[in-house]
Amino acid sequence: MIYHFGRGRARWIPYLLLIPGLFFYILIALGPSLATSVYSFTDANGIANVPVNWIGLDNYKEFLTLGQAARDNYDALGRTLIFCIGVTVFQFGLGLLVAMLLNQRLAGTNFFRIVFFLPVILGVVIQGLIWTLFLYPLGGPVDKVLGALGTHSELLGSQPSEAFVWVIIVQIWANLGITMVIFLAGLQTIPDELVEAARIDGASPWQVFSKITWPLLTPSVNTNLLLNIIGSLQSYQLFLVLIGYRNGTQVLGYMVYAQGFGQTSGGNSNAFRQGYAAATSIILFFVVLIIGLTAQYFLRRREERILG
Amino acid sequence: MNTAIERDIRPVSNSAWKRISAKYLTKKTIVSYIILLAFVIIYLGPLLMLINTSLKTQSSFMRDATALATTINVKNFVDAWNKASFPKYLTNSVIYTVAATTIYIVMAVFVAFPISRKYIKGAKYFLTLFLIALFLPPALIPQFQLMLKLGLYNNPVGYVMLFLANPIGVIILVNYIKTVPIELDEAAALDGCGYFQFVTRIVFPLIRPAIATVAILHAIGIWNELILPTIYLTNQKYYPITRGLIVFQGVYGSNWPTLAAAVLIMAIPMVVFYLFLQRYIMSGLTQGSLKG
Repeated sequence: MIYHFGRGRARWIPYLLLIPGLFFYILIALGPSLATSVYSFTDANGIANVPVNWIGLDNYKEFLTLGQAARDNYDALGRTLIFCIGVTVFQFGLGLLVAMLLNQRLAGTNFFRIVFFLPVILGVVIQGLIWTLFLYPLGGPVDKVLGALGTHSELLGSQPSEAFVWVIIVQIWANLGITMVIFLAGLQTIPDELVEAARIDGASPWQVFSKITWPLLTPSVNTNLLLNIIGSLQSYQLFLVLIGYRNGTQVLGYMVYAQGFGQTSGGNSNAFRQGYAAATSIILFFVVLIIGLTAQYFLRRREERILG
Repeated sequence: MNTAIERDIRPVSNSAWKRISAKYLTKKTIVSYIILLAFVIIYLGPLLMLINTSLKTQSSFMRDATALATTINVKNFVDAWNKASFPKYLTNSVIYTVAATTIYIVMAVFVAFPISRKYIKGAKYFLTLFLIALFLPPALIPQFQLMLKLGLYNNPVGYVMLFLANPIGVIILVNYIKTVPIELDEAAALDGCGYFQFVTRIVFPLIRPAIATVAILHAIGIWNELILPTIYLTNQKYYPITRGLIVFQGVYGSNWPTLAAAVLIMAIPMVVFYLFLQRYIMSGLTQGSLKG
Protein backbone atom coordinates (compact mmCIF):
# COMPACT_ATOMS: atom_id res chain seq x y z
CA MET A 1 0.00 0.00 0.00
CA ILE A 2 1.16 3.56 -0.68
CA TYR A 3 2.79 5.19 2.30
CA HIS A 4 1.43 8.69 2.81
CA PHE A 5 3.54 10.01 5.63
CA GLY A 6 6.60 11.32 3.82
CA ARG A 7 9.58 9.87 1.96
CA GLY A 8 13.24 9.30 2.44
CA ARG A 9 14.15 9.13 6.07
CA ALA A 10 10.50 9.48 7.15
CA ARG A 11 9.78 6.15 5.42
CA TRP A 12 11.63 4.39 8.24
CA ILE A 13 9.43 5.70 11.05
CA PRO A 14 6.90 2.79 10.97
CA TYR A 15 9.76 0.31 11.19
CA LEU A 16 11.37 2.16 14.08
CA LEU A 17 8.13 2.29 16.04
CA LEU A 18 7.50 -1.39 15.42
CA ILE A 19 10.85 -2.41 16.91
CA PRO A 20 9.94 -2.34 20.64
CA GLY A 21 6.98 -4.70 20.17
CA LEU A 22 9.00 -6.99 17.93
CA PHE A 23 11.96 -6.93 20.31
CA PHE A 24 10.00 -8.02 23.36
CA TYR A 25 8.04 -10.60 21.40
CA ILE A 26 11.26 -12.24 20.22
CA LEU A 27 12.99 -11.86 23.58
CA ILE A 28 10.15 -13.19 25.74
CA ALA A 29 8.11 -15.48 23.53
CA LEU A 30 9.55 -16.57 20.19
CA GLY A 31 13.24 -16.84 21.11
CA PRO A 32 12.77 -18.88 24.30
CA SER A 33 10.16 -21.01 22.58
CA LEU A 34 12.60 -21.96 19.83
CA ALA A 35 15.42 -22.40 22.34
CA THR A 36 13.45 -25.06 24.24
CA SER A 37 14.68 -27.73 21.82
CA VAL A 38 18.30 -26.55 22.27
CA TYR A 39 18.04 -26.72 26.04
CA SER A 40 16.59 -30.21 25.84
CA PHE A 41 20.05 -31.44 24.76
CA THR A 42 21.79 -29.92 27.79
CA ASP A 43 22.09 -30.43 31.52
CA ALA A 44 20.97 -26.88 32.36
CA ASN A 45 19.87 -26.70 35.97
CA GLY A 46 18.63 -23.22 36.73
CA ILE A 47 21.43 -21.99 38.98
CA ALA A 48 23.05 -18.73 37.90
CA ASN A 49 26.65 -18.95 36.62
CA VAL A 50 26.84 -22.73 36.47
CA PRO A 51 28.09 -23.83 33.03
CA VAL A 52 25.58 -25.60 30.82
CA ASN A 53 26.88 -28.73 29.11
CA TRP A 54 25.80 -30.35 25.90
CA ILE A 55 24.72 -33.93 26.65
CA GLY A 56 23.12 -34.92 23.36
CA LEU A 57 20.12 -37.20 23.57
CA ASP A 58 20.67 -38.22 27.21
CA ASN A 59 17.58 -36.43 28.49
CA TYR A 60 15.38 -38.11 25.91
CA LYS A 61 16.98 -41.52 26.51
CA GLU A 62 16.40 -41.13 30.22
CA PHE A 63 12.84 -39.96 29.76
CA LEU A 64 11.92 -42.82 27.44
CA THR A 65 13.98 -45.77 28.72
CA LEU A 66 15.27 -45.38 32.27
CA GLY A 67 13.53 -47.97 34.44
CA GLN A 68 10.91 -46.77 36.89
CA ALA A 69 11.26 -43.12 35.84
CA ALA A 70 10.38 -44.03 32.27
CA ARG A 71 7.41 -46.09 33.43
CA ASP A 72 6.20 -43.08 35.43
CA ASN A 73 6.63 -40.94 32.34
CA TYR A 74 4.53 -43.31 30.23
CA ASP A 75 1.90 -43.31 32.96
CA ALA A 76 1.90 -39.51 32.92
CA LEU A 77 1.54 -39.55 29.15
CA GLY A 78 -1.41 -41.94 29.48
CA ARG A 79 -3.02 -39.70 32.10
CA THR A 80 -2.49 -36.66 29.89
CA LEU A 81 -4.44 -38.41 27.14
CA ILE A 82 -7.19 -39.55 29.53
CA PHE A 83 -7.44 -36.02 30.92
CA CYS A 84 -7.66 -34.67 27.37
CA ILE A 85 -10.39 -37.14 26.34
CA GLY A 86 -12.41 -36.71 29.55
CA VAL A 87 -12.28 -32.93 29.45
CA THR A 88 -12.87 -32.62 25.71
CA VAL A 89 -15.83 -35.02 25.54
CA PHE A 90 -17.73 -33.50 28.44
CA GLN A 91 -16.78 -29.88 27.96
CA PHE A 92 -17.74 -30.11 24.30
CA GLY A 93 -20.98 -32.00 24.90
CA LEU A 94 -22.19 -30.00 27.88
CA GLY A 95 -21.09 -26.73 26.27
CA LEU A 96 -23.18 -27.53 23.22
CA LEU A 97 -26.17 -28.55 25.37
CA VAL A 98 -26.06 -25.35 27.42
CA ALA A 99 -25.56 -23.19 24.33
CA MET A 100 -28.56 -24.78 22.62
CA LEU A 101 -30.71 -24.30 25.70
CA LEU A 102 -29.69 -20.65 25.90
CA ASN A 103 -30.25 -20.08 22.20
CA GLN A 104 -34.00 -20.46 22.75
CA ARG A 105 -36.21 -17.53 23.56
CA LEU A 106 -36.28 -18.14 27.27
CA ALA A 107 -36.48 -15.52 29.95
CA GLY A 108 -33.23 -15.14 31.88
CA THR A 109 -30.79 -16.43 29.25
CA ASN A 110 -28.53 -13.49 29.96
CA PHE A 111 -28.36 -14.43 33.64
CA PHE A 112 -27.53 -18.05 32.86
CA ARG A 113 -24.82 -17.08 30.43
CA ILE A 114 -23.19 -14.73 32.91
CA VAL A 115 -23.25 -17.40 35.62
CA PHE A 116 -21.75 -20.16 33.45
CA PHE A 117 -18.98 -17.90 32.21
CA LEU A 118 -18.07 -16.54 35.64
CA PRO A 119 -15.35 -19.13 36.55
CA VAL A 120 -13.35 -18.19 33.44
CA ILE A 121 -12.85 -14.72 34.89
CA LEU A 122 -12.03 -15.85 38.42
CA GLY A 123 -8.87 -17.61 37.34
CA VAL A 124 -7.26 -20.81 38.41
CA VAL A 125 -6.39 -19.89 42.02
CA ILE A 126 -9.93 -18.93 42.98
CA GLN A 127 -11.41 -21.82 40.97
CA GLY A 128 -9.13 -24.24 42.79
CA LEU A 129 -9.69 -22.86 46.28
CA ILE A 130 -13.47 -22.65 45.85
CA TRP A 131 -13.56 -26.30 44.87
CA THR A 132 -11.16 -27.36 47.60
CA LEU A 133 -13.76 -26.00 49.99
CA PHE A 134 -16.72 -27.42 48.08
CA LEU A 135 -15.01 -30.83 48.16
CA TYR A 136 -14.20 -30.54 51.89
CA PRO A 137 -14.23 -34.20 52.91
CA LEU A 138 -15.47 -33.72 56.50
CA GLY A 139 -19.06 -32.72 55.92
CA GLY A 140 -18.74 -30.39 52.95
CA PRO A 141 -21.59 -30.18 50.42
CA VAL A 142 -20.36 -32.92 48.07
CA ASP A 143 -19.49 -35.14 51.02
CA LYS A 144 -23.04 -34.69 52.38
CA VAL A 145 -24.58 -35.59 49.04
CA LEU A 146 -22.41 -38.71 48.85
CA GLY A 147 -23.38 -39.50 52.44
CA ALA A 148 -27.06 -39.26 51.57
CA LEU A 149 -26.39 -41.72 48.77
CA GLY A 150 -24.86 -44.06 51.34
CA THR A 151 -21.23 -43.72 50.30
CA HIS A 152 -18.16 -41.82 51.41
CA SER A 153 -15.04 -40.50 49.76
CA GLU A 154 -11.98 -38.51 50.73
CA LEU A 155 -12.57 -36.62 47.46
CA LEU A 156 -9.38 -34.71 46.59
CA GLY A 157 -7.51 -36.64 49.27
CA SER A 158 -8.61 -40.08 48.08
CA GLN A 159 -6.94 -42.58 45.77
CA PRO A 160 -4.97 -40.89 42.94
CA SER A 161 -7.33 -42.14 40.24
CA GLU A 162 -10.36 -40.67 42.04
CA ALA A 163 -8.69 -37.37 42.87
CA PHE A 164 -7.76 -37.21 39.18
CA VAL A 165 -11.44 -37.49 38.21
CA TRP A 166 -12.30 -34.56 40.50
CA VAL A 167 -9.68 -32.42 38.77
CA ILE A 168 -11.28 -33.30 35.42
CA ILE A 169 -14.65 -32.21 36.80
CA VAL A 170 -13.31 -28.89 38.09
CA GLN A 171 -11.46 -28.29 34.82
CA ILE A 172 -14.74 -28.73 32.90
CA TRP A 173 -16.60 -26.51 35.37
CA ALA A 174 -13.95 -23.84 34.98
CA ASN A 175 -13.83 -23.70 31.18
CA LEU A 176 -17.32 -24.71 30.05
CA GLY A 177 -18.15 -21.00 29.64
CA ILE A 178 -15.66 -20.53 26.80
CA THR A 179 -17.05 -23.51 24.87
CA MET A 180 -20.59 -22.26 25.50
CA VAL A 181 -19.89 -18.73 24.26
CA ILE A 182 -18.22 -20.00 21.08
CA PHE A 183 -21.17 -22.31 20.38
CA LEU A 184 -23.64 -19.48 21.08
CA ALA A 185 -21.84 -17.28 18.57
CA GLY A 186 -22.10 -20.11 16.03
CA LEU A 187 -25.76 -20.82 16.77
CA GLN A 188 -26.64 -17.19 16.28
CA THR A 189 -25.41 -17.29 12.69
CA ILE A 190 -28.06 -19.92 11.85
CA PRO A 191 -31.11 -18.11 10.49
CA ASP A 192 -34.33 -18.66 12.46
CA GLU A 193 -36.28 -18.87 9.23
CA LEU A 194 -34.44 -22.05 8.24
CA VAL A 195 -35.34 -23.83 11.46
CA GLU A 196 -38.93 -22.63 11.40
CA ALA A 197 -39.39 -23.63 7.77
CA ALA A 198 -38.16 -27.13 8.57
CA ARG A 199 -40.54 -27.35 11.53
CA ILE A 200 -43.47 -26.29 9.38
CA ASP A 201 -42.48 -28.99 6.89
CA GLY A 202 -42.85 -31.48 9.72
CA ALA A 203 -39.23 -32.07 10.73
CA SER A 204 -38.77 -33.50 14.22
CA PRO A 205 -36.51 -31.67 16.69
CA TRP A 206 -33.88 -34.37 16.16
CA GLN A 207 -34.05 -33.93 12.39
CA VAL A 208 -33.73 -30.17 12.77
CA PHE A 209 -30.64 -30.70 14.90
CA SER A 210 -28.94 -33.35 12.79
CA LYS A 211 -29.80 -31.92 9.37
CA ILE A 212 -29.60 -28.16 10.03
CA THR A 213 -28.04 -27.08 13.30
CA TRP A 214 -25.16 -29.57 13.52
CA PRO A 215 -23.86 -29.15 9.95
CA LEU A 216 -24.17 -25.37 10.05
CA LEU A 217 -22.36 -25.31 13.37
CA THR A 218 -19.24 -26.83 11.79
CA PRO A 219 -16.93 -23.80 12.25
CA SER A 220 -17.61 -23.53 15.98
CA VAL A 221 -17.47 -27.33 16.35
CA ASN A 222 -13.97 -27.26 14.85
CA THR A 223 -12.82 -24.32 16.96
CA ASN A 224 -14.12 -25.83 20.17
CA LEU A 225 -12.71 -29.29 19.52
CA LEU A 226 -9.25 -27.98 18.73
CA LEU A 227 -9.26 -25.53 21.63
CA ASN A 228 -10.43 -28.20 24.07
CA ILE A 229 -7.96 -30.83 22.85
CA ILE A 230 -4.90 -28.57 22.75
CA GLY A 231 -5.85 -26.71 25.93
CA SER A 232 -6.43 -29.83 28.01
CA LEU A 233 -3.22 -31.52 26.81
CA GLN A 234 -1.19 -28.58 28.12
CA SER A 235 -3.21 -27.68 31.19
CA TYR A 236 -1.95 -28.51 34.68
CA GLN A 237 -2.59 -25.42 36.83
CA LEU A 238 -5.68 -26.87 38.51
CA PHE A 239 -3.70 -29.97 39.53
CA LEU A 240 -1.26 -27.62 41.22
CA VAL A 241 -3.92 -25.79 43.21
CA LEU A 242 -6.23 -28.75 43.94
CA ILE A 243 -3.94 -31.67 44.78
CA GLY A 244 -0.33 -30.60 44.28
CA TYR A 245 2.33 -32.88 42.81
CA ARG A 246 1.00 -36.26 43.85
CA ASN A 247 2.24 -39.59 42.56
CA GLY A 248 -0.29 -41.21 40.30
CA THR A 249 -1.91 -37.94 39.27
CA GLN A 250 0.77 -36.06 37.28
CA VAL A 251 0.21 -35.03 33.70
CA LEU A 252 3.05 -34.10 31.34
CA GLY A 253 2.53 -30.35 31.63
CA TYR A 254 2.86 -30.55 35.39
CA MET A 255 5.99 -32.69 35.05
CA VAL A 256 7.68 -30.00 32.98
CA TYR A 257 6.96 -27.46 35.68
CA ALA A 258 7.92 -29.76 38.56
CA GLN A 259 11.15 -30.97 36.94
CA GLY A 260 12.16 -27.47 35.98
CA PHE A 261 11.22 -25.53 39.07
CA GLY A 262 10.79 -27.91 41.98
CA GLN A 263 7.81 -29.83 43.18
CA THR A 264 6.30 -27.44 45.65
CA SER A 265 4.89 -24.04 44.94
CA GLY A 266 6.73 -22.51 47.89
CA GLY A 267 10.29 -23.76 47.42
CA ASN A 268 12.80 -21.06 46.58
CA SER A 269 15.62 -23.32 45.53
CA ASN A 270 15.82 -23.54 41.76
CA ALA A 271 18.50 -26.18 41.50
CA PHE A 272 16.40 -28.34 39.29
CA ARG A 273 16.76 -30.22 36.07
CA GLN A 274 15.79 -27.73 33.45
CA GLY A 275 17.43 -29.55 30.54
CA TYR A 276 15.40 -32.64 31.37
CA ALA A 277 12.28 -30.51 31.78
CA ALA A 278 12.93 -28.96 28.36
CA ALA A 279 13.08 -32.47 26.87
CA THR A 280 9.77 -33.34 28.57
CA SER A 281 8.29 -30.16 27.19
CA ILE A 282 9.44 -31.03 23.65
CA ILE A 283 7.86 -34.48 24.00
CA LEU A 284 4.62 -32.86 25.16
CA PHE A 285 4.88 -30.47 22.22
CA PHE A 286 5.05 -33.39 19.78
CA VAL A 287 2.09 -35.08 21.47
CA VAL A 288 0.07 -31.86 21.06
CA LEU A 289 1.31 -31.41 17.49
CA ILE A 290 0.45 -34.96 16.38
CA ILE A 291 -2.97 -35.02 18.01
CA GLY A 292 -3.75 -31.44 16.97
CA LEU A 293 -2.77 -31.98 13.33
CA THR A 294 -4.65 -35.29 13.14
CA ALA A 295 -7.75 -33.66 14.58
CA GLN A 296 -7.40 -30.73 12.22
CA TYR A 297 -7.02 -33.08 9.23
CA PHE A 298 -10.23 -34.96 10.01
CA LEU A 299 -12.13 -31.78 10.87
CA ARG A 300 -11.07 -30.20 7.56
CA ARG A 301 -12.19 -33.24 5.60
CA ARG A 302 -15.50 -33.26 7.39
CA GLU A 303 -15.94 -29.55 6.76
CA GLU A 304 -15.28 -30.00 3.04
CA ARG A 305 -17.77 -32.84 2.89
CA ILE A 306 -20.48 -30.83 4.62
CA LEU A 307 -19.95 -27.29 3.45
CA GLY A 308 -18.36 -28.09 0.09
CA MET B 1 -20.42 -10.22 18.09
CA ASN B 2 -22.33 -7.44 19.73
CA THR B 3 -25.43 -7.99 17.64
CA ALA B 4 -25.30 -11.66 18.46
CA ILE B 5 -25.27 -10.91 22.15
CA GLU B 6 -27.97 -8.28 21.92
CA ARG B 7 -30.32 -10.78 20.33
CA ASP B 8 -30.94 -12.35 23.71
CA ILE B 9 -32.28 -9.18 25.24
CA ARG B 10 -34.57 -8.47 22.30
CA PRO B 11 -38.18 -8.71 23.50
CA VAL B 12 -39.91 -11.88 22.46
CA SER B 13 -42.35 -11.13 19.69
CA ASN B 14 -45.89 -12.36 20.07
CA SER B 15 -46.03 -13.96 16.65
CA ALA B 16 -43.06 -16.16 17.49
CA TRP B 17 -44.99 -17.63 20.38
CA LYS B 18 -48.04 -18.30 18.29
CA ARG B 19 -46.11 -19.96 15.50
CA ILE B 20 -45.18 -22.98 17.55
CA SER B 21 -47.84 -25.03 19.26
CA ALA B 22 -48.36 -23.95 22.84
CA LYS B 23 -48.14 -27.45 24.32
CA TYR B 24 -44.81 -28.29 22.70
CA LEU B 25 -43.32 -25.02 23.86
CA THR B 26 -44.37 -25.40 27.46
CA LYS B 27 -42.98 -28.89 27.83
CA LYS B 28 -39.75 -27.93 26.14
CA THR B 29 -39.43 -24.79 28.24
CA ILE B 30 -39.92 -26.68 31.48
CA VAL B 31 -37.30 -29.28 30.59
CA SER B 32 -34.92 -26.54 29.52
CA TYR B 33 -35.31 -24.70 32.80
CA ILE B 34 -34.81 -27.88 34.84
CA ILE B 35 -31.52 -28.60 33.08
CA LEU B 36 -30.38 -24.99 33.33
CA LEU B 37 -31.20 -24.82 37.01
CA ALA B 38 -29.20 -28.00 37.63
CA PHE B 39 -26.25 -26.25 36.01
CA VAL B 40 -26.86 -23.12 38.07
CA ILE B 41 -26.65 -25.22 41.24
CA ILE B 42 -23.29 -26.65 40.16
CA TYR B 43 -22.06 -23.17 39.21
CA LEU B 44 -23.34 -21.12 42.12
CA GLY B 45 -23.22 -23.87 44.77
CA PRO B 46 -19.45 -23.65 45.30
CA LEU B 47 -19.71 -19.84 45.46
CA LEU B 48 -22.53 -19.90 47.99
CA MET B 49 -20.57 -22.40 50.07
CA LEU B 50 -17.64 -19.97 50.00
CA ILE B 51 -19.78 -17.01 51.09
CA ASN B 52 -21.50 -19.03 53.80
CA THR B 53 -18.19 -20.33 55.16
CA SER B 54 -16.66 -16.86 55.20
CA LEU B 55 -19.41 -15.73 57.59
CA LYS B 56 -18.99 -18.54 60.10
CA THR B 57 -16.67 -19.08 63.02
CA GLN B 58 -14.09 -21.83 62.91
CA SER B 59 -15.88 -23.81 65.62
CA SER B 60 -19.24 -23.71 63.87
CA PHE B 61 -17.53 -24.74 60.62
CA MET B 62 -15.92 -27.70 62.38
CA ARG B 63 -19.26 -28.69 63.91
CA ASP B 64 -21.17 -28.62 60.65
CA ALA B 65 -19.48 -27.35 57.50
CA THR B 66 -22.66 -26.79 55.49
CA ALA B 67 -24.96 -25.32 58.17
CA LEU B 68 -26.09 -21.82 57.34
CA ALA B 69 -24.24 -19.01 59.05
CA THR B 70 -26.45 -17.67 61.82
CA THR B 71 -24.44 -14.54 62.47
CA ILE B 72 -22.52 -12.31 60.16
CA ASN B 73 -18.98 -12.76 61.32
CA VAL B 74 -17.00 -9.84 59.85
CA LYS B 75 -13.97 -10.84 61.88
CA ASN B 76 -12.89 -13.35 59.22
CA PHE B 77 -12.55 -10.56 56.68
CA VAL B 78 -10.61 -8.35 59.08
CA ASP B 79 -8.33 -11.27 59.95
CA ALA B 80 -7.78 -12.23 56.33
CA TRP B 81 -7.10 -8.64 55.34
CA ASN B 82 -4.52 -8.15 58.08
CA LYS B 83 -2.86 -11.55 58.20
CA ALA B 84 -2.61 -12.08 54.47
CA SER B 85 -0.83 -8.77 53.76
CA PHE B 86 -3.56 -8.18 51.20
CA PRO B 87 -2.92 -4.44 50.80
CA LYS B 88 0.64 -5.21 49.66
CA TYR B 89 -0.30 -8.09 47.35
CA LEU B 90 -3.17 -6.14 45.84
CA THR B 91 -0.93 -3.14 45.21
CA ASN B 92 1.63 -5.40 43.52
CA SER B 93 -1.03 -7.04 41.34
CA VAL B 94 -2.41 -3.66 40.31
CA ILE B 95 1.05 -2.32 39.47
CA TYR B 96 2.03 -5.38 37.41
CA THR B 97 -1.29 -5.49 35.60
CA VAL B 98 -1.53 -1.79 34.79
CA ALA B 99 2.13 -1.36 33.85
CA ALA B 100 2.36 -4.43 31.63
CA THR B 101 -1.02 -3.85 29.96
CA THR B 102 -0.31 -0.19 29.18
CA ILE B 103 3.15 -0.81 27.75
CA TYR B 104 1.93 -3.83 25.83
CA ILE B 105 -1.03 -2.01 24.27
CA VAL B 106 1.09 0.90 23.04
CA MET B 107 3.68 -1.43 21.52
CA ALA B 108 1.02 -3.70 20.05
CA VAL B 109 -0.77 -0.87 18.24
CA PHE B 110 2.52 0.25 16.67
CA VAL B 111 3.03 -3.34 15.55
CA ALA B 112 -0.52 -3.93 14.36
CA PHE B 113 -1.07 -0.65 12.48
CA PRO B 114 1.73 -0.91 9.86
CA ILE B 115 1.03 -4.63 9.42
CA SER B 116 -2.67 -4.02 8.85
CA ARG B 117 -1.95 -1.12 6.45
CA LYS B 118 0.96 -2.91 4.76
CA TYR B 119 3.11 0.15 5.43
CA ILE B 120 6.08 -2.12 5.97
CA LYS B 121 7.62 -4.53 3.49
CA GLY B 122 6.57 -8.15 4.00
CA ALA B 123 3.68 -7.23 6.29
CA LYS B 124 2.22 -10.70 5.80
CA TYR B 125 5.39 -12.36 7.03
CA PHE B 126 5.47 -10.10 10.04
CA LEU B 127 1.98 -11.25 10.96
CA THR B 128 3.01 -14.90 10.59
CA LEU B 129 6.07 -14.19 12.72
CA PHE B 130 3.81 -12.84 15.46
CA LEU B 131 1.52 -15.86 15.19
CA ILE B 132 4.06 -18.62 15.12
CA ALA B 133 4.86 -18.63 18.85
CA LEU B 134 1.31 -19.84 19.51
CA PHE B 135 2.17 -23.12 17.81
CA LEU B 136 5.64 -23.69 19.22
CA PRO B 137 6.71 -25.38 22.47
CA PRO B 138 6.18 -23.39 25.69
CA ALA B 139 8.91 -20.83 26.35
CA LEU B 140 9.06 -21.66 30.08
CA ILE B 141 12.57 -23.11 30.56
CA PRO B 142 14.73 -20.95 28.23
CA GLN B 143 12.78 -17.88 29.37
CA PHE B 144 13.85 -18.64 32.92
CA GLN B 145 17.49 -19.13 31.88
CA LEU B 146 17.34 -15.81 30.06
CA MET B 147 15.90 -13.89 32.99
CA LEU B 148 18.49 -15.44 35.26
CA LYS B 149 21.30 -14.30 32.94
CA LEU B 150 19.85 -10.83 32.64
CA GLY B 151 19.72 -10.58 36.42
CA LEU B 152 15.95 -10.08 36.25
CA TYR B 153 15.07 -13.09 38.39
CA ASN B 154 13.06 -12.08 41.47
CA ASN B 155 12.78 -8.58 40.06
CA PRO B 156 9.48 -6.76 39.53
CA VAL B 157 10.72 -5.12 36.32
CA GLY B 158 11.68 -8.50 34.93
CA TYR B 159 8.31 -9.88 35.98
CA VAL B 160 6.44 -7.12 34.10
CA MET B 161 8.62 -7.80 31.05
CA LEU B 162 7.25 -11.34 30.87
CA PHE B 163 3.84 -9.93 29.92
CA LEU B 164 4.94 -7.70 27.04
CA ALA B 165 4.21 -10.27 24.35
CA ASN B 166 0.73 -11.49 23.40
CA PRO B 167 0.21 -12.61 19.79
CA ILE B 168 -3.59 -12.90 20.04
CA GLY B 169 -3.90 -9.23 20.96
CA VAL B 170 -1.90 -8.23 17.87
CA ILE B 171 -4.21 -10.29 15.66
CA ILE B 172 -7.36 -8.71 17.09
CA LEU B 173 -5.88 -5.24 16.55
CA VAL B 174 -4.72 -5.98 12.99
CA ASN B 175 -8.23 -7.13 12.09
CA TYR B 176 -9.93 -4.18 13.70
CA ILE B 177 -7.63 -1.57 12.13
CA LYS B 178 -8.80 -2.83 8.72
CA THR B 179 -12.19 -1.23 9.48
CA VAL B 180 -10.61 2.23 9.79
CA PRO B 181 -10.90 3.86 6.32
CA ILE B 182 -7.58 4.35 4.58
CA GLU B 183 -8.74 7.73 3.25
CA LEU B 184 -8.13 9.05 6.75
CA ASP B 185 -4.41 8.35 6.35
CA GLU B 186 -4.28 10.26 3.08
CA ALA B 187 -6.26 13.22 4.41
CA ALA B 188 -4.20 13.44 7.59
CA ALA B 189 -0.94 13.22 5.65
CA LEU B 190 -2.09 15.98 3.28
CA ASP B 191 -2.75 18.15 6.30
CA GLY B 192 0.84 17.61 7.36
CA CYS B 193 0.17 15.11 10.14
CA GLY B 194 3.13 12.83 10.84
CA TYR B 195 3.00 9.05 11.26
CA PHE B 196 3.51 8.99 15.02
CA GLN B 197 1.00 11.77 15.55
CA PHE B 198 -1.53 10.05 13.28
CA VAL B 199 -1.33 6.77 15.16
CA THR B 200 -1.47 8.33 18.62
CA ARG B 201 -4.05 11.07 17.98
CA ILE B 202 -6.32 9.48 15.37
CA VAL B 203 -5.91 5.69 15.23
CA PHE B 204 -5.89 5.12 18.99
CA PRO B 205 -9.27 6.82 19.61
CA LEU B 206 -10.82 5.17 16.54
CA ILE B 207 -9.90 1.63 17.57
CA ARG B 208 -10.90 2.10 21.20
CA PRO B 209 -13.29 -0.92 21.25
CA ALA B 210 -10.55 -3.27 20.07
CA ILE B 211 -8.06 -1.74 22.50
CA ALA B 212 -10.56 -2.22 25.33
CA THR B 213 -11.05 -5.87 24.39
CA VAL B 214 -7.34 -6.62 24.11
CA ALA B 215 -6.50 -4.68 27.28
CA ILE B 216 -9.17 -6.49 29.30
CA LEU B 217 -8.06 -9.92 28.06
CA HIS B 218 -4.42 -9.16 28.70
CA ALA B 219 -5.13 -7.69 32.14
CA ILE B 220 -7.23 -10.69 33.24
CA GLY B 221 -4.43 -13.01 32.17
CA ILE B 222 -1.83 -11.11 34.21
CA TRP B 223 -4.09 -10.71 37.23
CA ASN B 224 -4.88 -14.44 37.41
CA GLU B 225 -1.39 -15.69 36.58
CA LEU B 226 -0.09 -18.22 39.09
CA ILE B 227 2.78 -20.10 37.44
CA LEU B 228 5.01 -17.14 36.54
CA PRO B 229 4.98 -15.46 39.96
CA THR B 230 5.67 -18.86 41.50
CA ILE B 231 8.70 -19.29 39.25
CA TYR B 232 10.08 -15.77 39.16
CA LEU B 233 9.23 -14.03 42.42
CA THR B 234 10.75 -15.46 45.57
CA ASN B 235 10.62 -12.36 47.74
CA GLN B 236 7.29 -12.08 49.54
CA LYS B 237 7.22 -8.31 49.13
CA TYR B 238 6.91 -8.76 45.34
CA TYR B 239 4.09 -11.33 45.42
CA PRO B 240 0.94 -10.62 43.45
CA ILE B 241 -2.40 -11.57 44.95
CA THR B 242 -2.56 -15.05 43.37
CA ARG B 243 0.73 -16.16 44.87
CA GLY B 244 -0.14 -14.43 48.13
CA LEU B 245 -3.38 -16.37 48.35
CA ILE B 246 -1.62 -19.70 47.80
CA VAL B 247 0.88 -18.83 50.53
CA PHE B 248 -2.01 -17.83 52.78
CA GLN B 249 -3.65 -21.18 52.10
CA GLY B 250 -0.41 -22.90 53.12
CA VAL B 251 -0.50 -21.16 56.50
CA TYR B 252 -4.23 -20.94 57.22
CA GLY B 253 -5.43 -23.88 55.13
CA SER B 254 -7.14 -25.53 58.07
CA ASN B 255 -8.99 -22.35 59.06
CA TRP B 256 -11.54 -22.37 56.30
CA PRO B 257 -13.66 -19.40 57.44
CA THR B 258 -10.66 -17.04 57.28
CA LEU B 259 -9.38 -18.60 54.06
CA ALA B 260 -12.84 -18.32 52.50
CA ALA B 261 -12.95 -14.64 53.46
CA ALA B 262 -9.54 -14.17 51.82
CA VAL B 263 -10.72 -15.88 48.63
CA LEU B 264 -13.84 -13.68 48.61
CA ILE B 265 -11.79 -10.51 49.05
CA MET B 266 -9.91 -11.48 45.92
CA ALA B 267 -12.97 -12.67 44.00
CA ILE B 268 -15.35 -9.77 44.61
CA PRO B 269 -13.46 -7.12 42.61
CA MET B 270 -13.21 -9.60 39.73
CA VAL B 271 -16.94 -10.35 39.83
CA VAL B 272 -17.87 -6.65 39.87
CA PHE B 273 -15.43 -5.93 37.04
CA TYR B 274 -16.89 -8.87 35.11
CA LEU B 275 -20.52 -7.81 35.59
CA PHE B 276 -19.75 -4.37 34.16
CA LEU B 277 -17.62 -5.55 31.24
CA GLN B 278 -18.99 -9.03 30.52
CA ARG B 279 -19.86 -8.24 26.91
CA TYR B 280 -16.36 -7.08 26.10
CA ILE B 281 -14.87 -10.02 27.92
CA MET B 282 -17.00 -12.71 26.28
CA SER B 283 -16.72 -11.29 22.79
CA GLY B 284 -13.00 -10.72 23.27
CA LEU B 285 -12.37 -14.28 24.38
CA THR B 286 -14.34 -15.70 21.46
CA GLN B 287 -12.60 -13.42 18.97
CA GLY B 288 -9.25 -14.33 20.39
CA SER B 289 -9.93 -18.03 20.23
CA LEU B 290 -11.66 -18.03 16.85
CA LYS B 291 -8.89 -16.15 15.17
CA GLY B 292 -6.01 -17.48 17.18
